[in-house]
Amino acid sequence: MQEELILGYLPILVFLIIVTCVGAGMIIASALIGRKNPNSEKISTYECGMVPIKDARQRFDVRFYLIAMLFILFDIEVVFLYPWAVLFDRFNPVIFGFIEMVLFIVILLFGYIYIWRKGVLSWS
Amino acid sequence: MENLGPTLTILLTLVRIVLVMTIALLSVPVMVWVERKVSGHIQNRHGPLYVGPIGTLQPFADALKLLLKEDITPANVDKTLYYLAPLMAFVPALMTFSVIPFGPWLKIADVNIGVVLILSVSSLGIYGLVMAGWSSNNKYALLGSLRSSAQMISYEIALGLSVIGVLMHSRSLSLVQIVQRQAETTWFVIPQFLGFVLFTVAAFAETNRLPFDLPEAEQELVAGYHVEYSSMKFAMFFMSEYVAMLSQACVLTVLFLGGWLPFPIIGPLVEGLLPAVVVEWVMPLFWFFLKVGGFMFFYVWVRWTFPRLRYDQLMALGWKVLLPLALFNVFLTGFIRLSL
Amino acid sequence: MLDILVPDFRVIAPELILIVTAFVIIFWELITRTARHGMSIFLGAAGTLVALAVTASLAQKTISTFGDALVLDPFASFFKMIFLVGLLLTIAISTRYMVDEGTKDHSEYYGLLILAVVGMMVLATGRELITIFLGLELMSMSLYVLAGLFKTDVRSNEAALKYFVLGSFATCFMLFGMSYIYGIAGTTHLRQIGRAIAENPALLADKGLILGMFTLLVGFAFKISAVPFHQWTPDVYEGAPTSVTAFMSAGPKAAAFAAMIRVLMEALPLMKTDWELLFTVVAVLTMTVGNLVALAQESVKRMLAYSSIAHVGYILIAFVASVGGHADRALSAILFYLLAYTFMNTGAFAILIFLRREGISGEKLDDFAGLSRRSPIGALAMLIFLFSLAGIPPTAGFAAKLSVFYAAVQGGYYALVVIGVINSAVAAYYYLRVVVVMYMQEPATEGGYAGTSPLLWAGIALALAGTIVLGVLPGGVLEAARLSVISLL
Repeated sequence: MQEELILGYLPILVFLIIVTCVGAGMIIASALIGRKNPNSEKISTYECGMVPIKDARQRFDVRFYLIAMLFILFDIEVVFLYPWAVLFDRFNPVIFGFIEMVLFIVILLFGYIYIWRKGVLSWS
Repeated sequence: MENLGPTLTILLTLVRIVLVMTIALLSVPVMVWVERKVSGHIQNRHGPLYVGPIGTLQPFADALKLLLKEDITPANVDKTLYYLAPLMAFVPALMTFSVIPFGPWLKIADVNIGVVLILSVSSLGIYGLVMAGWSSNNKYALLGSLRSSAQMISYEIALGLSVIGVLMHSRSLSLVQIVQRQAETTWFVIPQFLGFVLFTVAAFAETNRLPFDLPEAEQELVAGYHVEYSSMKFAMFFMSEYVAMLSQACVLTVLFLGGWLPFPIIGPLVEGLLPAVVVEWVMPLFWFFLKVGGFMFFYVWVRWTFPRLRYDQLMALGWKVLLPLALFNVFLTGFIRLSL
Repeated sequence: MLDILVPDFRVIAPELILIVTAFVIIFWELITRTARHGMSIFLGAAGTLVALAVTASLAQKTISTFGDALVLDPFASFFKMIFLVGLLLTIAISTRYMVDEGTKDHSEYYGLLILAVVGMMVLATGRELITIFLGLELMSMSLYVLAGLFKTDVRSNEAALKYFVLGSFATCFMLFGMSYIYGIAGTTHLRQIGRAIAENPALLADKGLILGMFTLLVGFAFKISAVPFHQWTPDVYEGAPTSVTAFMSAGPKAAAFAAMIRVLMEALPLMKTDWELLFTVVAVLTMTVGNLVALAQESVKRMLAYSSIAHVGYILIAFVASVGGHADRALSAILFYLLAYTFMNTGAFAILIFLRREGISGEKLDDFAGLSRRSPIGALAMLIFLFSLAGIPPTAGFAAKLSVFYAAVQGGYYALVVIGVINSAVAAYYYLRVVVVMYMQEPATEGGYAGTSPLLWAGIALALAGTIVLGVLPGGVLEAARLSVISLL
């Protein structure tokens, strides 16, 4: 049983290896085939023809961090929902499984309303 | 799976892998050509015309040109990440095909976590964008990658949630079993219409297509995260975007439109006229790619129909509209399933 | 079919009440869009009192539910009472303070306080490693945010960040230890871990199990701020809002002790010889370092932070003593000490808040100058709290220390007792220094203390009552503590 389970994934691993090789091959091929004729203007950072002003890696808006954190929260919620959804009508009693998930989502909705009212989701 | 000897099984698997890869990679030039041709006709132009019959070979010419172009590595980039980024975008985009069943016989693997595998693998592609934006050390690239990663993770939640209704019907995460379940009951687009709409919208955003193509918004960000990439590395980003589009269309087909199942009414009529061998081996693929092709056309159609959203509108749509609607869809499905 | 068993909700009744209270507090403000401070206080206090009543009514029961992941026994109930009393005191003393500091996040403040207490309760109730971890994280996350409540204050930010980074680090250690113990025992349930070790004594020599226990204890040592994992304590305690410091120094420590006692007594009792030595060293170090560094502090808030480290050292003496013959006495001494500490320490911080007014932080030693003249009652209250912290009779601190040392003597740990007594003598110096300043120095500025509120006085009075009652009549509470730890042995 366990072996069959692992064997089922083996093609995916083979596919991964092949795909990675093809991708790496493309990068290497273009590096080998393409002409090489760099000069200082050509390899300078592109900024619409201007001389680049300062380093590109500056501080950026904190909202990107907030979105990333919210993503983790809600994505975990989604992951929790998957096994539940598959087993949805096999709970005993059926209604209880549904109520549990409703409670779970309602608690998360509290957090959702909270971030909404606090203005985390508005970008203007 | 058929009970064949180990050698033959391995050989078959390898053949399948090669076939799937060919389909995925060959679809890129086809899709590019379709997109340019359809765009052309929508705008009352001809589109590509000269290379090959009605311009069909144009994308191949473009690919060859890109391969031979000078491979520029800007001076200020973080070399390791800069070279890894295209690979990190390319590999996950293709990996989603490892569990997509094109037909009853054309699939690389059928694992019982198929849907989760697709979602997790496709979200890995974000790393490619972030790495590209950061390593390029270019303001446009950094902003583009930030925007696009924020956009993709925002819509990924809606995407993941809209699938849950399907899972409640299918009782399985395996894509093959989801299709089989649709054969037993009905295409899930009917009981899950809201989920279908949500998934489609989220899929557009996930693949950075218009009207959600802010990461590339030419007028503001030149080209977004891959502005510093040239030659084949640029081509790889380009390809992974198209491959991702294809895989989203395939997932949509499998989850909502019955995968390789024939269309009702018309399907049996057409199949009745054909020999059994063709019906068994060719027609599933035909139906599948017909549906996928329909989506590809839809992609282009939408592109020239809707204007681009503003970034705040985009985020508001993802978080304030799609997310609650997707949650509502879960509740609704639960209620309906329970009351039946 | 997946059968779902309806759990016995009595086990988590106080937790549920508090969670609902926290949600109502936060959403009341969110929906009405008005920062109604009074409403938050009223709801918070009401919820706490209801939870306290429910806990008291269930105090004698032993019920387990959720597949024995949570257990309500007298031990858990005793700790729940400590947390709730601490919460009540904190709510009382923070009302005026929050208004004075001009923070707008009232509802978050009270909501997070309550959620932190829920985490502590889960820690005390959990009989399974994952559940304990869950409680610990809920508690810690709330505290990280609370420490940084004053968003515009650099020190508060610094405190929050330090606490968060170091706390996460300690959490990693703890999780690492848990995974090792799980890997070797094959279960996360405490009793079953204990049984697995008892059935297979070869495990006792297993390096993985020892490593697991050790890293788990590192995590706990961080949470109770035992030396050498105490470095975060002074900075966090000093930087955090004073009311949060008062809260942090009592409840969360007690919660970490609760979980640690349960883990060691139920899962790893056979490894006594290993952790006996470990805790002996840690106890001596904690007392000594805490007291010696406290001597040098000019800020009373920081001094109290170091003194709280030192008190952990005294409590650890009793913990070591529990290995000896009279485990029930030793453990009940810990419970009693933690309750007494909650009263006297929160009381001392309440006086710091009382001193605070325009332009004066109330944290410096000089701010106490001539307090006896400006506010005789405030000075007297501080005097009693400081006497109690120093362990001078007839206060709770004295009774607590006495019971700890007595348990250690009974267990035969004479050296530890001697070190403990010497340390107490050293500690008396810095506590009494504050008394000297209060009573014998001229006030730097004239005038009384305008900004006091009835609730602050009520909080001080409650802390005072607890300190004195526990000091004069410790017998009943000590016996209750003794009865509540018996179930663990």
